[in-house]
Amino acid sequence: MTYVVTDNCIKCKYMDCVEVCPVDCFYEGENMLVIHPDECIDCGVCEPECPAEAILPDTQGGLEKWLKLNAEYAPKWPNISVKRDPPPDAKEFDGVPDKLEKYFSPEPGQGD
Amino acid sequence: MNTITMESFAATREVSEQAIRRLVDDFYVKVRADPELGPVFNRAIPGDWGPHLSTMRDFWSSVMLTSGRYKGNPVAVHRRVEGIELALFERWLALFGETCRELFDDELADAFTSRAQRIAESLKLAVFYRPNRPWPPSAA
Repeated sequence: MTYVVTDNCIKCKYMDCVEVCPVDCFYEGENMLVIHPDECIDCGVCEPECPAEAILPDTQGGLEKWLKLNAEYAPKWPNISVKRDPPPDAKEFDGVPDKLEKYFSPEPGQGD
Repeated sequence: MNTITMESFAATREVSEQAIRRLVDDFYVKVRADPELGPVFNRAIPGDWGPHLSTMRDFWSSVMLTSGRYKGNPVAVHRRVEGIELALFERWLALFGETCRELFDDELADAFTSRAQRIAESLKLAVFYRPNRPWPPSAA
């Protein structure tokens, strides 16, 4: 069991989660973060920290697509455990629907 | 330990560094003396327990107070433990729950034990799950 990062992280990428994660299981893409499902210990600390409410437990239904995306990109992207400034336009994209189809980038982010 | 100290802790309702310290200290006294858990833990941590207790205080501080103090890889650590068995997780949870209920009110004890159960489930999967075997393993 694990937590997964979902649609509203895309282009928001606030990164508050990475500071509180005790096991450093966040990985950074160009415009979103993902959780490595094999490293997450399901402690739940990150969920309430996310200003975009983009982190959900995989026990919640309908998240298969996101679990797959997290599992696919976590090994490809660099680890991130130190928060940086979020994108300047993060607030404008907070709550925009269907960001995966419109904006998702498979490119890696800069990491720590 | 005097009665006044016991009573003041029995009423503990708020998570604090002090509460976590007491929980960790009391819990690992039980673990080390336990016939099932003791041998495995004492073999994994021979000698000075100070660093381990400090690590566990940081871990629970990170989980319950989001302090970010613990940074580590508990999955990798548990995979390396000699003699680790699935049933030991249940024993660990039983002792942990017992200690929480001795020190905290019901709500705070539940806050700790529900986290502990979820984390234990993740560690069990990480250490013992194999794609070609049923999960959870049926009791023999």
